[in-house]
Amino acid sequence: MLRKFIALFISLSLCLTTVACGSTTTSSTSQPNVSTNTAPPSAKLTDGKYPVQQATYNDVDGEYSLMLLDTPPGSPPVFRTTDLQMARLTDEEIENGAQTYLEVNGSQKVMHLTEDFKIEYVHNVTEVQTNPQTGQQETVIVRRESNFWAPFAGALAGQAIGSLLFTPQYYVPPVYQPGSVMTGYGGYGSSYNTAVEQYQSRYNSPPPAVTNRQTLRTTGSLRTSPSSTTTRQTSTTTTKSTGSGYGSSNLQQSGDSNSTKKQPSFGSGSPSRSKSGFGSSRRRR
Amino acid sequence: MSPLRDRFNKFVGKTRYVVCRIFIHLAGDEVAPMLGVLNRAAREAVDSEGDLNTLGEGLVDICQNLIQLNTYWRSAANEGDFFWEEGEAGDYVTQLFTDSAQRYRSEPDLSAKDEELFLPATPNLVVMITVAFEGEEPDLETDLASMEALEAGLKTLINLHYQQKLRAIQVHFSPARFGDELTNDQLLLNFSELIPL
Repeated sequence: MLRKFIALFISLSLCLTTVACGSTTTSSTSQPNVSTNTAPPSAKLTDGKYPVQQATYNDVDGEYSLMLLDTPPGSPPVFRTTDLQMARLTDEEIENGAQTYLEVNGSQKVMHLTEDFKIEYVHNVTEVQTNPQTGQQETVIVRRESNFWAPFAGALAGQAIGSLLFTPQYYVPPVYQPGSVMTGYGGYGSSYNTAVEQYQSRYNSPPPAVTNRQTLRTTGSLRTSPSSTTTRQTSTTTTKSTGSGYGSSNLQQSGDSNSTKKQPSFGSGSPSRSKSGFGSSRRRR
Repeated sequence: MSPLRDRFNKFVGKTRYVVCRIFIHLAGDEVAPMLGVLNRAAREAVDSEGDLNTLGEGLVDICQNLIQLNTYWRSAANEGDFFWEEGEAGDYVTQLFTDSAQRYRSEPDLSAKDEELFLPATPNLVVMITVAFEGEEPDLETDLASMEALEAGLKTLINLHYQQKLRAIQVHFSPARFGDELTNDQLLLNFSELIPL
């Protein structure tokens, strides 16, 4: 059994490497991008090509919302996703009269843009305010500004990067500036994370879509101003002592509410600790 | 998850996310100053609005102080998992935060006002550290319920910060501040997975 599998595996990997060596254009697109960005799309689109009427990018969460034409019946014309790759239309395609379109292929979504296609860029101006009711500091969106972003306009043509423009890549928009149309990109890469890293090395801070994802969670009385009088807790009567906690993460949430609680795969706990998915039976602790 | 799939994912070059949580229980009169370190780190975290770099520096501070106090370690526990999907790792981190938070009372009990001038030093202190990072760390992905393993694990946490691999950092501690107590009964009730070192 094992020997059979090894043989199969070797032949499979051989196939994979041959394919990877054979055509350089596909190898860069097919391999790494599937992993990182897994926000669920608002609706499943069947594979195919859809002309794009209008595109909007919201920098509060990095979500693209595309207005599509020719969507099959049953699926809405507005398509939202954070997992979108972009590529420029090749000159031949433009000569043949191709317009900006979205190509859906399984989990991979690629928007092919004409050079002058402008994506509407919604910029959210945030401010830290003190909530008068709770006295806690919170970040609120005070206003929204709108501008346009043309990822492939001018500038890049003829540069060494030229050939890369036609292969689908993840792009992070440049720093928002009001007024003129923003051109170019803040970072690009074969995965969203490499694009973010490039942005970060250029502007010294992650893009707003990532910093906004970085959420701070606190418990206890950390957020409220410490009281000057320290009261002693007669905690012997209660089953729980006081405590505080804080945490921050820039990991994405899968958005699935049905994510199953798994048995920890490592740790000191005895393996008999069973975690049921849901129900009234309390976890044995 | 099957080891075959893990091996395949590694072969393809997917990013591996590890989420782990460490419980450390300290006991003794000398552990109360640790609360100062923890609260300072918490304040800095709130002031920085959750900037991971600031949280990481706080975590380094906490780990170093914990290592210095290793003679007061009484028990420890850890758990964790690894993921190939970022979303799953994020969900697990959120779950762990909620689970850690329900082990203590976050509202100070203001009804029991007791005007005494001396404050008791807490007999016990539990620190829960949860991190998510990219890559693989054998020092953390094991059973840490022994002195040597725990020390190695804490040192690894410090290194992870300087390697900039940390993607999520959580620190919980009970009791909340100097003057509050965590009794042995409460410890047994709420932190039953602790294993004596």
